Amino acid sequence: MRAKPATANDLISGEVSFVSLLECSGCGEKYSCDEIHTFCPNCQSPLLVRYDLEAVRKHVNRDAFRLRQGRMWRWHELLPVRDPGNFVFLGEGDTPLLHLPNLGNELGYPHLFVKDESLNPTGSFKARGLAAAVSKAKELGIKKVIIPTAGNAGGAMAAYAARAGIQALIYMPKDTPRSNIEESRIAGAEVVLVDGLISDAAGMAGEKARAEGWFDLSTFKEPYRTEGKKIMGYELAETFDWALPDVIIYPTGGGTGLVGMWKAFAELEALGWLNNTKRPRMVAVQAEGCAPVIKAFETGAAFCDFWTNAHTIASGLRVPKSFADVLILNDLRESKGIAVAVSDEAILEAQRQFGRMEGIFPAPEGAATLAALKTLVQQKWVHPEEHIVLFNTGLGLKYLDKMS
Amino acid sequence: MTKKNILYIEDNPDNMLLVKRVLVAGGYNVLEAENGAQGLSVAENQDVDLILLDINLPDIDGYEVARRVRLNVKKALAYIPIIAITANALRGDAERALQAGCDVYMSKPINVHELRARVEAFLPSTK
Repeated sequence: MRAKPATANDLISGEVSFVSLLECSGCGEKYSCDEIHTFCPNCQSPLLVRYDLEAVRKHVNRDAFRLRQGRMWRWHELLPVRDPGNFVFLGEGDTPLLHLPNLGNELGYPHLFVKDESLNPTGSFKARGLAAAVSKAKELGIKKVIIPTAGNAGGAMAAYAARAGIQALIYMPKDTPRSNIEESRIAGAEVVLVDGLISDAAGMAGEKARAEGWFDLSTFKEPYRTEGKKIMGYELAETFDWALPDVIIYPTGGGTGLVGMWKAFAELEALGWLNNTKRPRMVAVQAEGCAPVIKAFETGAAFCDFWTNAHTIASGLRVPKSFADVLILNDLRESKGIAVAVSDEAILEAQRQFGRMEGIFPAPEGAATLAALKTLVQQKWVHPEEHIVLFNTGLGLKYLDKMS
Repeated sequence: MTKKNILYIEDNPDNMLLVKRVLVAGGYNVLEAENGAQGLSVAENQDVDLILLDINLPDIDGYEVARRVRLNVKKALAYIPIIAITANALRGDAERALQAGCDVYMSKPINVHELRARVEAFLPSTK
């Protein structure tokens, strides 16, 4: 029998999505998820997507997910797209959780894992968020999307927009890895190179969006990218047989993945799908040359100060201030987690170590998580019996011009 | 207790409306200026306790306004808190704002919870 090509909406029966509304993370104001929204017009905080979890609990059996096709879209009841015809699918999700026996042995931590997000389409975790956001944009009838990016989000948006037949415009710093510029152009997006950082690109993209009616897919300036990213949390729970690891070490630029996973854990708990309710301690990793979350976390601040003169080889971590800084800091504190800064030298050493010992060539941002783990081992913040998950957010091959 | 006066120099009426709503609700009195020259005049001639300063103004840019505030003959302005608010459309806006004499840099969109907290850090609310 010939294999059937995979589609995202295979085997969907019953309710596609139990999405109910959008809720402001700052003031609690509610908005319809069937209208176009960006962030809260009242208090200008990010909006979060809410679901009728009681109905999900009633109608969906957690063990059914294992039998489904569709990778990220297996979890469609907990994603915001109502019509499967609007799923824009390139194979995102269901990335492997790899045991790291050699690194684990060297560090004395036998339960060390990496969630390897480099196997997503376009070679990075950004595929998940942009798949969800572009799919919802398609559902809402949006015809043109714009994004400021440190690199990988641009490539992912271009790919999903091309697939959806939506026009794409991308602002990225001119020193963004060449792979990101080329992959965006190959997918038909218009690319504007900016003499500055992602924050500068964000300012320019924002102005363009307001002036010409582009829909802005900037991190947390629309509600749906977080939903794609949160599925990383569902996949972890499923892989660990409906428990959660003790520690998650995550590179934090804009923070969508960290916030998304924490949201997933809250939803899983509300759904009663976890075998125990012990949540992981979340670790936000940043570069020493751009560490606004670390500074705010250590000083007990509720907000991040804008980081001046940001610099690091890990372009995805060069975010002087996230629009969701409050959410990131709240989630870190609620999880009894920590924020760790690592040097570029430590990132490069960790990248070589990943390759030499495990055959994995991670993005600098992914390598930063191993560098952070080494710091935490020295500080005895982690313990040898704990299950620890590092996140490799992208493919090292995309950064070759940064390594020479 | 007397309300504290906050001068907001901003040419965008939507931002002016939003910020004014937040600050008035917080118990502050808001003095409005829609360009740099007008803002400097208000700062020199009225009692002002804090300045919120947009950088992209139609006449004198916010950096220059901050510099003139700091070097003003009205000596009290040398120490007045200045919070820069901008859409940071150009490289190094934050660095330039701080070098020009601003105390804090905030980027747009203005998160009102953060704005309130940043203002209260300098001027405890009378409410």
